[in-house]
Amino acid sequence: MEQQQLRKLEATCIQEESPQCSAACPIHIDVRAFMACLAGKDWRGARRVLDRTMPFADIVGRICDEPCRQACKRSEIGDPLAVHRLERFCVTTQPMVLRSPRLPAKGGSVAVIGSGLAAMTAALDLARKGRTAVMLTSDEQIGGSLRQYAEEMLPAQVLAVGVETLYSYGVILHFGCSLNQEFLATVRQDHDAVFLDRDCRGLATLAVDCTQPDPVTLAIGLDGCFAGGGSTANGFSVMKQVEDGRRAALSIERYLQKVSLTAQREREGVCPTRLFTQIAGIPPLSEVLPADPAAGYTAREAVAEAARCIQCECMECVKQCAFLQEFNDYPKRLVRKIYNNEAIVQGTRTANKMINSCMLCGQCTVICPHDFPLNTVCRTTRANMVASATMPPSAHEFALQDMEFSLGTFAALARHQPGRDSSRLLFFPGCQLAGSAPQTVEQTYLHLTRHLDGGVGLMLGCCGIPAHWSGRQELFHRTMQTLVAEVGRLGDPLIVTACSSCYTVFKEFAPQLTVQSLWQLLDKMELPANAAAPPQPMAIHDPCTVRHEPQIRASVRNIIKKIGISTEEHPYAGELTDCCGYGGLMQFANVPLGEKAARAKARRSECDGLAYCAMCRDNMAATGRRVAHLLDYLFPAASRQDPLLRPNPGFSGRHENRARLKQHLLTTLWQEEPPMNPAHKEIKLVIAPQLMELLDKRHILEDDIRKVIGQAEQSGRRLVDPENGHFLASYRPVRVTYWVEYQPGRQGFIVHNAYSHRMILPGEAK
Amino acid sequence: MSTFSFISETAWRCASCNKELHPRKVNVEYMGSVFNVELMVCPVCGFVLIPENLALGKMLEVEQLLEDK
Ligand code: SF4
Ligand code: SF4
Ligand code: SF4
Ligand SMILES: [Zn+2]
Repeated sequence: MEQQQLRKLEATCIQEESPQCSAACPIHIDVRAFMACLAGKDWRGARRVLDRTMPFADIVGRICDEPCRQACKRSEIGDPLAVHRLERFCVTTQPMVLRSPRLPAKGGSVAVIGSGLAAMTAALDLARKGRTAVMLTSDEQIGGSLRQYAEEMLPAQVLAVGVETLYSYGVILHFGCSLNQEFLATVRQDHDAVFLDRDCRGLATLAVDCTQPDPVTLAIGLDGCFAGGGSTANGFSVMKQVEDGRRAALSIERYLQKVSLTAQREREGVCPTRLFTQIAGIPPLSEVLPADPAAGYTAREAVAEAARCIQCECMECVKQCAFLQEFNDYPKRLVRKIYNNEAIVQGTRTANKMINSCMLCGQCTVICPHDFPLNTVCRTTRANMVASATMPPSAHEFALQDMEFSLGTFAALARHQPGRDSSRLLFFPGCQLAGSAPQTVEQTYLHLTRHLDGGVGLMLGCCGIPAHWSGRQELFHRTMQTLVAEVGRLGDPLIVTACSSCYTVFKEFAPQLTVQSLWQLLDKMELPANAAAPPQPMAIHDPCTVRHEPQIRASVRNIIKKIGISTEEHPYAGELTDCCGYGGLMQFANVPLGEKAARAKARRSECDGLAYCAMCRDNMAATGRRVAHLLDYLFPAASRQDPLLRPNPGFSGRHENRARLKQHLLTTLWQEEPPMNPAHKEIKLVIAPQLMELLDKRHILEDDIRKVIGQAEQSGRRLVDPENGHFLASYRPVRVTYWVEYQPGRQGFIVHNAYSHRMILPGEAK
Repeated sequence: MSTFSFISETAWRCASCNKELHPRKVNVEYMGSVFNVELMVCPVCGFVLIPENLALGKMLEVEQLLEDK
């Protein structure tokens, strides 16, 4: 990933933008954090938030005119937060927690004319930066207009603390100065820069026009002179004084450093924010009013009011995606991690697992207000990893071997309809439907051949999407080329896909093929007469690959309606649908997360589930959900058992099913000899269902176990436990060493356990 | 090269040699890295035992670390 691309992506995710309140605060107080502290009774924390940004918090906190309030998101669902009242509560009950440090003196003397809040702020900020700040005022006290506040709003004693603060940072104060025509000239001679606080009596007598300072820098006509503060057409705003004082201090600092006064100041003062916060579903709440308005909030009232803050943030994608939740981060930070991961030359690439755990499903892109394309980022990164040989071999190997099997001698098949030598259509059930429900594939195929003219060919295989998802570009293109050639050999018929992954892959990567979804085809055909609808309402689980295929989704719903299944829609269907964990091969690269994703998808509805992707169906079934495949109801003859209870076949089961399907169809439909099985296939195994489930999670196939036992029985190389007569043997067919604990039994070899590792033992082939 | 030891008493015996397993240092390898480890081995034919907890524990951990290097 190029740095420029990273920047662009980072800017797309607006999760880190300011909430509306801070954006509308002229000095960007972290109101959200302030509210969180108060709501959690962390009084010191709340005060720390103010101390960090607010000058003279004891003063300003008492009289802040809360420009943030009218921007508060809460006003769309109730009243805006009573920010000022809470600030007042905070500074009147909790003394200062954080005293900002004063940087070492670095020369440069600045005169601050006037003693209002703008002057005070400018003097304080400059003194903190290590500049000599000299306050010159005609008054006898500081505060300017602040002195007009009633004693109970702003006690004189608190203003006096302000003076102490200025002294403590080394600000020099001169009261009772006489402002006259020569005054400014003398001051400019004695100092390097000047700030004029317009909230100062007698400013008019100075020979300078302070009425129109530059809005960004506050510079006025005279070199090194800046002006701000005071009343505007809108009256006197406390926060305006603070803003101007701070802005002027920054300008003066830049002026003294002889750098640009204007560069990169867009985010100073009130600024726009792009933060999106979903408020649907948040109940409206009105403002908590203090029982005694004069006394302000009690602690209890303050907590209740602060708790109304919705803690504005986006996180919309994270709220729905099991992967983002697992890695507990939002896309902006994840792309940074991905970028850093790619940049590592020597050392551990800690983000590999994360990159391989995205389901590439695109849900986040649909949810995101700015269409963040995390799936594209993760997929291209995987391709880069493969190209640079940094892809962890174990992440996708098992899935790719599964694909190889589907495309191999024992599972793949391409034929015209029996008795014909041309095909108008070509049924492509896909590897997973063949693995999950071979009889349904047969029934569906027979239905198509009986009801459609022009010949319906059959192609068993795999569309190659596992290669694409795992970043194996070359393998993917090779697979696609072979497939296109094969379809060409059959006369380029219209491909009919049962799996929407195959559909989208063909559409995107083989535009020369014509493709239609089985669902769109069935929708236009007469449906099987014996299609059986269960009585209860069902929840449709759209697969993630139809997210952008509204017509397929509509056809599916038409068919469901026609066969009389009543459905209950839930919000995470259609465009927003979840991935079951198969997408992006996530369930292979991150087994526990795969289960979580399947569970999350399954939990979207209380009704029995109705899927139309074999992988969705099986993955949800594996979590214990009652879920059927739509074809189970269209072709009920295929399965005698309740389709809702059909178990997940597991990886071994799928291999078995694909091989049997080919064998069965070859012999029954085409009267051909099926391919010969290798010798180890004859080994009979007895495996308890629970162990079977465990082996599935460990990615160990029955076939691997057969190879281990075959090898051990033939060579005699194995361990034995004399206590129970179990054997333990190992074998490394290619890149994984499998260990099997077993025992000969009457029905076959009883398997007690199996596990594997990738490390190479002495004597094993590399 | 430092040696890690993963020896523990075991009921498994070599079936073909009819021998108890004994601790022995052997080299295991992954992604080009070689480790000298002490494992339970048949003293006659050299059959190396990798117990389940080692394969799915420490060994897996090291494999994944090497894959991310
Ligand atoms: S609800 Fe809270 S975080 Fe959101 S704008 Fe209002 S104060 Fe700020
Ligand atoms: S799994 Fe899907 S929703 Fe989650 S980050 Fe990846 S593409 Fe987005
Ligand atoms: S939806 Fe996700 S990616 Fe988009 S802005 Fe919000 S947090 Fe960022
Ligand atoms: Zn031996």
